[in-house]
Amino acid sequence: MTVEIKWPWQYNFPPFFTIQPNLETRKKQLEAWKTLILNYFKQTNQYILDLSDISNLELFNNSSISRSLNRDDVILILDFLTRSENAEAIDKNKNRWYIYWHSLREWAHIIYSWAQKTNRTNSVLTFYEIRSTPNEEFTELNEEILSKALQLLESQEKAEIILLQDTCGVKIF
Amino acid sequence: MRRRPGIGGIQKQRLEQEKYKDKGTILQLNYLEQMSQQVEIFRRNLEEFALKHKTEIKKNPQFRRQFQEMCASIGVDPLASGKGFWSVLGIGDFYHELTVQIVEVCLATNYKNGGLISLNELRLRLIKARGKSIQHQEINNDDLLFAAKKLNIFGNGFCIIEISKGEYLVQSIPGELNMDHTAVLQLVSKQNKPYMSVSILREQLQWDTERAKKSLNHMIKEGLAWMDLKNTTENLYWFPSMFNECINSQDN
Repeated sequence: MTVEIKWPWQYNFPPFFTIQPNLETRKKQLEAWKTLILNYFKQTNQYILDLSDISNLELFNNSSISRSLNRDDVILILDFLTRSENAEAIDKNKNRWYIYWHSLREWAHIIYSWAQKTNRTNSVLTFYEIRSTPNEEFTELNEEILSKALQLLESQEKAEIILLQDTCGVKIF
Repeated sequence: MRRRPGIGGIQKQRLEQEKYKDKGTILQLNYLEQMSQQVEIFRRNLEEFALKHKTEIKKNPQFRRQFQEMCASIGVDPLASGKGFWSVLGIGDFYHELTVQIVEVCLATNYKNGGLISLNELRLRLIKARGKSIQHQEINNDDLLFAAKKLNIFGNGFCIIEISKGEYLVQSIPGELNMDHTAVLQLVSKQNKPYMSVSILREQLQWDTERAKKSLNHMIKEGLAWMDLKNTTENLYWFPSMFNECINSQDN
């Protein structure tokens, strides 16, 4: 990953890596972690966090101050992100997580507005077509997340998902 | 053999004492009258002076400081005088404005420093938020202290802690800090590292473990310090208000 991350001051503040006992302070800490994680995933264009990787991620390890988060810490933070619809555990053991730097609702809205603006309504679009549209926020969007966002549109009766021979498509109304 | 004092002698003595007392009162009254005349003249001169140098007082921090001292020496508080002569000057307004801006900066940075900010950081942020003209920029720590002290009227929600000579912290959250807490802040500032620990307190202030823990935990409870359990030797208590990267961070 060659993207230059702009680390917030908290990242170099050693106690940022200890879950704070004071609840007020903890709230500030979790908000800061949330902003940092979402920015990090957005800038590196990632959508899934695998907890078996956390010891390799610079995000959770600041070697210059010798501080890192352990698995329990990360889960506590991800639970906080889940509450604002910015994360979701994929499996029961909370090993893999979707990281939504846009919530599903936001993704659905972004795609829907794009289809309206560019006259792509009422015709079948393949998932691949959507994901390979250049220079959009959803360019290269994770396929499972795309599917979830489109299902959300379907539940709002703004789209219909169509199973094609070897792929999926969608008709946005 | 010494003669014992007779009744007459005692009475004579008492009479003399009373005479002295009367004379003393008269002298004192004269003196007081003279003094108040002088103070009155001084006050009038000060008013004339203030009127004449109104813009200079607002512009020049050193001038302002000397003016404050003169005011204080005769018990005139240019801030308290909302009506009458002093309000015409607008000097009170100058400080009222500063006071409001101090509160604004404290509230705006509360999310990261827990309501504790050094006077220097406060000044830098305040100057940045004010207009660009020189008049708005020339604010020194004396001005801020003078204005911030007025915030005491809000009870213990606002107080100024002197941590070393000329170095101050402004606390903008309710909750009083006792002598021990102040001593901790002073030591943090003195050692130039933004954290504290039980062993440092034991060593530097000869406190026992209980006392040190109690003080540090209070800082955590008040949100002034953050707990660091991942240091290898012992738990550290970090103060964002004294952590340079936090002080200099521009994100709000």
